[in-house]
Amino acid sequence: MSAATLTSRAGQARRALPVPGIALALVLAVVVPLLAGELGLSQGRALKLCGGVALAIAALSLNMLLGYAGQISLGQYAFVGVGAFTTGLVTGVDQLRLPWLAGLLAAAVVGAGFAFLVGLPALRLKGLYLAVVTIGLAYFCSQSLFAFNAIGGGSAGRALPPPYFGSSAVTSSVGLLAICTVVLVVIWQADINLTRSRFGRAMRAVKADEAVAASFGIPVARTKLLAFTLSGAVAGMAGCLAGTATGTVTGNTFDYAHSLLLVGIVVIGGLGSRPGVVIAALLSSVLPDVIIGIFGNGFRGYDIVLNAFLLMVTVTVQPHGFAGAVAEARERQAIRRGGEPPLPPTRPHLPDLGRPVGMPAPRKTRPGTAVLQASGISVRFGGLQAVDNASLRVDRGTIVGLMGPNGAGKTTMFNAISGALTPDSGRVEFLGEDVSELAPHQRAARGMGRTFQLIGLAKDQSVYENLLIAQHLAAPYGISAALTTLGSRTWEKQVRQRADQTLEGLGFGRYRDTQVGKLSHGQQRIVEIGCALVTSPELLMLDEPSAGMSPAAAEDLAATLLDIRDQLGRTILLIEHNVPLVLGTADELYVMDAGAVIANGEPVEVVTRPEVVTAYLGQAPEGVTA
Amino acid sequence: MGEVLVLGLISGAIYALFAIGVVLVYRGTGVLTFAQGEIGTAALYAASFLVVDQHMNYYLAAALAIAFAGAIGLVFNGVFVRNMKDADPVTTAVATVGLTLFLLSGEIVLFGQSPAELPTPFTWNFTVFGIVVRAHQIIALGMAVALGFGLQAALRKTDFGLGILASAQDPAAARLVGVPLSKVQMTLWGTGAALSGIAALLVEPTVGIITPGYASELFIGGLAAAVIGGLTSLPGAVVGGIVLGIVQAAGNKLLNNKGIPGLDYIVTLSLMLVALLGRAYYPALRKRMATGSQAAVVGAQA
Repeated sequence: MSAATLTSRAGQARRALPVPGIALALVLAVVVPLLAGELGLSQGRALKLCGGVALAIAALSLNMLLGYAGQISLGQYAFVGVGAFTTGLVTGVDQLRLPWLAGLLAAAVVGAGFAFLVGLPALRLKGLYLAVVTIGLAYFCSQSLFAFNAIGGGSAGRALPPPYFGSSAVTSSVGLLAICTVVLVVIWQADINLTRSRFGRAMRAVKADEAVAASFGIPVARTKLLAFTLSGAVAGMAGCLAGTATGTVTGNTFDYAHSLLLVGIVVIGGLGSRPGVVIAALLSSVLPDVIIGIFGNGFRGYDIVLNAFLLMVTVTVQPHGFAGAVAEARERQAIRRGGEPPLPPTRPHLPDLGRPVGMPAPRKTRPGTAVLQASGISVRFGGLQAVDNASLRVDRGTIVGLMGPNGAGKTTMFNAISGALTPDSGRVEFLGEDVSELAPHQRAARGMGRTFQLIGLAKDQSVYENLLIAQHLAAPYGISAALTTLGSRTWEKQVRQRADQTLEGLGFGRYRDTQVGKLSHGQQRIVEIGCALVTSPELLMLDEPSAGMSPAAAEDLAATLLDIRDQLGRTILLIEHNVPLVLGTADELYVMDAGAVIANGEPVEVVTRPEVVTAYLGQAPEGVTA
Repeated sequence: MGEVLVLGLISGAIYALFAIGVVLVYRGTGVLTFAQGEIGTAALYAASFLVVDQHMNYYLAAALAIAFAGAIGLVFNGVFVRNMKDADPVTTAVATVGLTLFLLSGEIVLFGQSPAELPTPFTWNFTVFGIVVRAHQIIALGMAVALGFGLQAALRKTDFGLGILASAQDPAAARLVGVPLSKVQMTLWGTGAALSGIAALLVEPTVGIITPGYASELFIGGLAAAVIGGLTSLPGAVVGGIVLGIVQAAGNKLLNNKGIPGLDYIVTLSLMLVALLGRAYYPALRKRMATGSQAAVVGAQA
């Protein structure tokens, strides 16, 4: 990476750790604790560190949810507790007596199952509703579920035997610490793999903007549910380790307050930052002893007060936590060293990449079938008829313009076509198929690409990252391939290659790792069009692409649109206010006013029709002709 | 039956009072506040300190405790919410998590786990359906209903109320048309927090002892009530609280002696899920039914 590049954390070179790397990490995870034991790490300290590592894993689980996918959980310790009690029930001497590894696995599976159930309402609901459910779950688990004797083991709690491997039990705390660190290393690696995969990108896109994510073919609801499920599995494993370290668990070990504390740890460490949250968790596990060591026994519990205070301060001053502050400082340093990179050209030369291997080929249609046929679309917002029985047709290889004064219903029409909203009536046919009932990501999968009036990009991610996010559908590997990188590498190579080619075509090579939000508006537009084109969609829907552009840049844009039509052979539906741009590019023009299509036909002729002039300029006074 | 109704109204009124504060802040700022319960506990400790340790008159102490609760809200708003760089609702909600934890851990280190007490002046009572109903419980119910419907009217009918609603929809636009945004925020956080103190003071005599995290446990019911009522409706919050109270009372009566621990929390979580899933799936269901009946009409005509 050159010094001149503005580095954003998200866009750093993402090479998968080679196998020897993880092997080395695993060896170290075993050797270091054992060596520390030989060098005088006391059993008591080692046990405390076991708790710290378990806390770090719990922090990673909440980080997946809150840091990656932007979903808040205030009941994470319910999942941790579920993992601990599951382990006790699976491995306990008076219970199933299965090996410890089976307990760990069961903890992950049951934790995931619980989280899946909690995430189900997310399939339909937006916003903070889920947070409410997670609190309800936290109290339900600690006060009710874990209080059942059959689960919680009554007032004595549930005993977790030490791990057995074959016939030898690991009873020393140092040995236990080695086991904990191995689990941490494995989860850490899986977390790296996740963030570098299409699923990690999907989560970040959902966090940034759900509508944008859907326009790239990302199933928003399923992505949230996946985040919940994975998070539950990791939290369950944290519970298994924490319980194994203490030997006995009771219900109130996993109450609401612990969940709140975990939110504090993750936010202070830095949402989305693996090292940040792990270091914060490890520090906070030794903090009570440090405080008592310095101030004496009277200060028991003050670590939580400090944590809570830091949480409020962090959210106020630096929402990305400690890791965010470090990243910002580095970025400033990079700018000071290299200065701003030169401006990229505004006239890109987009390569014809063809349809990605991973995506279904566009539907074959009979000659004469429209690419898009929307008929009788009506949308009502309360008392406002936003779109009133509007129809339009887009033929293959054409640019169709859609004009109309502000509030005419153009963007609403767009949203109805792309599936971002469901019209009250009407039918959308794409490549001869009725897609009226399909979700936006399903329409995207069939070859609809779109941009948004207010830039449709994940603005907190780099240019390159956005080009990868846009190819969610182009690399259709599953979640297990993502977590292990087995079977995802070829796909990722293809996706990255296409991103590189597009980047080059856009002329944005030097901006590869720049956060999109830091580019100028016009540059963001170009990146957005690049993202829409990177999967070679059949139809490109552009919502006011020239808004906020200089006249010269708009001219370049016109040339680009013609290139996309003539050289790439794509079809474009274009909302525009810029009349010269429309007249210079469109083959056909629709004009909307007050929700209805009032004119359509040959652009130059349509714009002179009296009803169109009236719609734009108002009724001409008598005696004045248009 | 009558017994269930009375018990349900008693606990429902408290849930409703917590829920009103939640809905008020949520409607005005888009932030779901999680600190609503623990602010109440802090107010109780303040009142207990004034009455037991300082021998203050109960009513004066209660007024000061409510003012203290309101002050917590104002300070939180002034020091943190107002200065947030990235004040989206989720971030602010996380800050209220910090406040909750701050108050909770503060109570633990200051007052320990041994319960505090607050002698109540409300001794008047009467018996209905075999249940002893006490004065503070009647006050709580009356207050919940009055505040639920009264605040709703105030939001809809007064300029300041409309300003609150407008600033929730679009803060920038509201500011442009002259809504004093910082005043609106102060009012909301202050009022919401004071309401939390009122709710806690009105439930305390029923239980009799104060422990850290005390009101947060009741606040879960308040959150559930708010969600059942639709999260944006003040009268809905009142109805939601009473529904939750009655279902809990009915559950306790039906499943009494069955040895189910934490029955109230099972009911709370279940009602939350029913409300949310209903909210999620009802519109689609209604639409399907509407189109279905339309098709039937068309079919009949043909």
